[in-house]
Amino acid sequence: MSAPIVELDAVTAAYRERRVLLDVSLRIEAGELVALIGPNGAGKSTLLAVATGLLRPLAGVVRLDGEPVETLERLEVARRMAVVPGAANLPFATRVEEVVALGRLPHEDPFRGARPADRAAIAGAIERVGIGHLLGRDARELSLGERQLVLIAMAVAQAAPILILDEPTVHLDLRHQVEAMELLVDLNERDGTTIIAVLHDLTLAAHFFPRLVLLDGGRVVADGPPPEVLRPDRIREVFGVDPGFVRLPQPTA
Amino acid sequence: MFPSSPSARRRVPPGAIATLMVALAFVLAACSVAGSSGAPPSPSVAFATITPVATPVPTTTTSPTPAPAFPATLTDDEGSAVTLKAEPQKIVSLTPASTEILFALGAGPRVVATTDFDDYPPAAVALPHVASYTAVDVEKIVGLGADLVIAGGNAFNPPEAITRLRGLGVPVLVVYAPDVAGVLKDIDLVGAAVGRADVSTAMTATMQAGFYAVAAATAGLPKPRTFYELDTSTGPIYTVADASFTEQMITLAGGDPITSGSKTDFAIPLEKLITADPELILLGDAAYGVTADQVKGRSGWKVMTAVKTGAIRPVNDLIVTRPGPRLVDGLRDLALAIHPDLVLPSFAPIPPAP
Amino acid sequence: MATHGDTLATVRPRVGRGGGVRDRPVLLLVLGLVALVVALILGVGVGTVAIDPGDTLRIVGHRFLGLDIPVTWSPATETIVVELRLPRVLTAMLVGCALAVAGATFQGLLRNPLADPYVLGTASGAALGAAIAVLLPVRLVFLEFGLIQGFAFIGALAAIYAVYKLSRIGGLSPLTSLLLTGYAVGSLLAAGLAMAMYLSGAALRQIFTYLLGSFDDATWPRFLATLPIILIASVAIMLRARSLNGLLLGEQAAAHLGIDVRHERRILLALATLVTAAAVAISGLIGFVGLVVPHVVRLLVGPSARLVLPLSAIGGAALLAYADILARVAGGIPVGVVTAIIGAPFFLLILRRARTGYEV
Repeated sequence: MSAPIVELDAVTAAYRERRVLLDVSLRIEAGELVALIGPNGAGKSTLLAVATGLLRPLAGVVRLDGEPVETLERLEVARRMAVVPGAANLPFATRVEEVVALGRLPHEDPFRGARPADRAAIAGAIERVGIGHLLGRDARELSLGERQLVLIAMAVAQAAPILILDEPTVHLDLRHQVEAMELLVDLNERDGTTIIAVLHDLTLAAHFFPRLVLLDGGRVVADGPPPEVLRPDRIREVFGVDPGFVRLPQPTA
Repeated sequence: MFPSSPSARRRVPPGAIATLMVALAFVLAACSVAGSSGAPPSPSVAFATITPVATPVPTTTTSPTPAPAFPATLTDDEGSAVTLKAEPQKIVSLTPASTEILFALGAGPRVVATTDFDDYPPAAVALPHVASYTAVDVEKIVGLGADLVIAGGNAFNPPEAITRLRGLGVPVLVVYAPDVAGVLKDIDLVGAAVGRADVSTAMTATMQAGFYAVAAATAGLPKPRTFYELDTSTGPIYTVADASFTEQMITLAGGDPITSGSKTDFAIPLEKLITADPELILLGDAAYGVTADQVKGRSGWKVMTAVKTGAIRPVNDLIVTRPGPRLVDGLRDLALAIHPDLVLPSFAPIPPAP
Repeated sequence: MATHGDTLATVRPRVGRGGGVRDRPVLLLVLGLVALVVALILGVGVGTVAIDPGDTLRIVGHRFLGLDIPVTWSPATETIVVELRLPRVLTAMLVGCALAVAGATFQGLLRNPLADPYVLGTASGAALGAAIAVLLPVRLVFLEFGLIQGFAFIGALAAIYAVYKLSRIGGLSPLTSLLLTGYAVGSLLAAGLAMAMYLSGAALRQIFTYLLGSFDDATWPRFLATLPIILIASVAIMLRARSLNGLLLGEQAAAHLGIDVRHERRILLALATLVTAAAVAISGLIGFVGLVVPHVVRLLVGPSARLVLPLSAIGGAALLAYADILARVAGGIPVGVVTAIIGAPFFLLILRRARTGYEV
């Protein structure tokens, strides 16, 4: 059995002296489509920070393909994991295609810059995410939703086997939310990309993601397919709301 | 920001001991020569019987047999050795005093450039300018083919420019006179540099006699507390600094100078001036339009003795503070300003040689 | 997968709009180099002494290219061209290059378009060093570097070192901390400078001249001594263009893109500081070049440091060379005044074009 593509092994992590993750163990295999859900402050973003090697855990190990992430160079980590950044403020006028091009940094030749393969990846990412109509525009002048799509395109251009997103649908309107989710499913099915997304929208998560990981108070409270994780009593306990259930048509393969 | 009077721009030197020694020398000479009886000598008697203490007046009426004066290595006032391969023919003067000295020594025709602020003699004003208050045009000096540059020490001219010129092979003689004796030394130095040592020796001897005469004339007189005003136009009151050139001049001229209280700072607070209570105010800035009436009108100045008695007199600042050949005239002017009834023996001012 | 973008977008194999100077950085490079050559010729031909332009070229050809040209000019003329004007023009270019590269680096590093080479207290440190040197009653010259140059260099480096060390304290993000500490330290040093100027008396003029910046004292030894420092450090920065690009979206995003942020930040800071300190040591404080040139270059070719750094180097060199020529032609006004006159309107123009603010 090959090593999981991302593994957290009994990880305890703190953020400014407050313990946010408590003895979390998680195994994600290559090609999985996983959504991290939970209330605010549950530790979802911290989990991502630990998984991507930005935050050093107080205890436990994070492994990528079996190798501890802290032994890997940042460049190597960047080639294995692409992270869609939160809303970024750009200090200078930057065109959409230039933002997307940043995704190729881990692959670029440090001296010669973008090569044909890089340019192809950039163009491909733009087409795949569907932002061709935004080409040439200053990224700072886009709406938050459009900027989000550009950042997703950047991560797609990075062409890493793992794609990580932290609440990617926050600023998107309904149609773009659906399209973004469909894009993730497409990347997962066509390219085999492992997708790990933090989502606050339980409906979206349940509809598109075959595996949900529910975090609460720094611990994994549930891990499995949506019907199992999203039991009414669990939702009541973790989220403090009384859920209602509606059956949606299944997504087309 | 900067004091506007040119003399105020000069850096004030430490020279208290030198000043004292010079003044003392004059007085002692007068006393010793007047006789050992101990009676206070009357100025006129003292003058009539003494000979100048300075170097003997050389008799240069015969045509001088020039000993080969060049090549020469001179030591300038900053201690640098300056080598002159031949008698300089293209001289650049970077201070108004040096310009006057050069012309007085007869080297005027050989001067090719001076500064923006040279004003005497008239022939010098027409010359090309290679220096302003803030900068020296090194390029122009090199372009003129200068073979001797006379610069002002104590940062009168930017030291960088002096270094630059020397680096390009142009001999630069730096002169700086912290006191009256230094002026004579500088005249001799310049004289040696331009091959007119004979003229400079005669000039300094004459000047020394002139200084001596004034000092002797004022020796026994009561010395009024004298405030020499350099400038007040920008706000602070600028006067003479401690142990400075001008302070020495005032002492020699028979005054008791009030100074700023610092060697480096020319400004005197009004309170201090009022406490010092000058008996005489000399307006060094009279040339800039400052009058006695203006002074009387200044708030707070009414209480001073000088203002009450109206003892406010203008002075030609240029000749009093410029370390050049007209210094004796300056001293005489100053003495007469301090003691208007003073009778001085005649003294022929040193004219610029044609 | 059907997205409406598909039907509207035309995906080109080459990303970006075609046309305009943006896609032809090589053209800009060539133009810049031409501008430099012209500046060199003009710079050597202009001065208070009128020299025949033909003579200028002949002297350069004779002295530097070893051409066999009969000497028809006076030694004074040759001295002026070779010892006074040539090092002056070259120094102006070197300093302009240094300031522009440092400015671009600081802007990218601190992610702040208002940053310039002096933003972290360098200017105040250098000025205070120079003031102290003027006040010390010591005369020291080493390789034609006087006390002023040496102390200014040390002052600049010391200021940034202090800022860097002090900024590590506290819980603010490293960038914000750097900026704020730089401001605080800079203000403190400026107060020290004001004190020194107040106590300086007649030496005030020297300090003031240094503050305004000038190339009057440019000499061959100074130029040749600072040339390797500035060139090597600038090239080292350019080799790290990738790190600067990564920082465009922020430090976290940069880390996710494979940049070792801490390490790169330290190195870039050190290199940019070295370049600035060397420039400031030989020319005093000349403003606007480091601020404006990178912005103009970005307007033309976009924010990628790979293009911005080398083009800023050339642009800065050209700008300062021409500014010095203008300063000389205008009667010897300080070159810092000329760069301010040119730079300020440019800066306002940039502000107008930067219509969007920085929302988080």
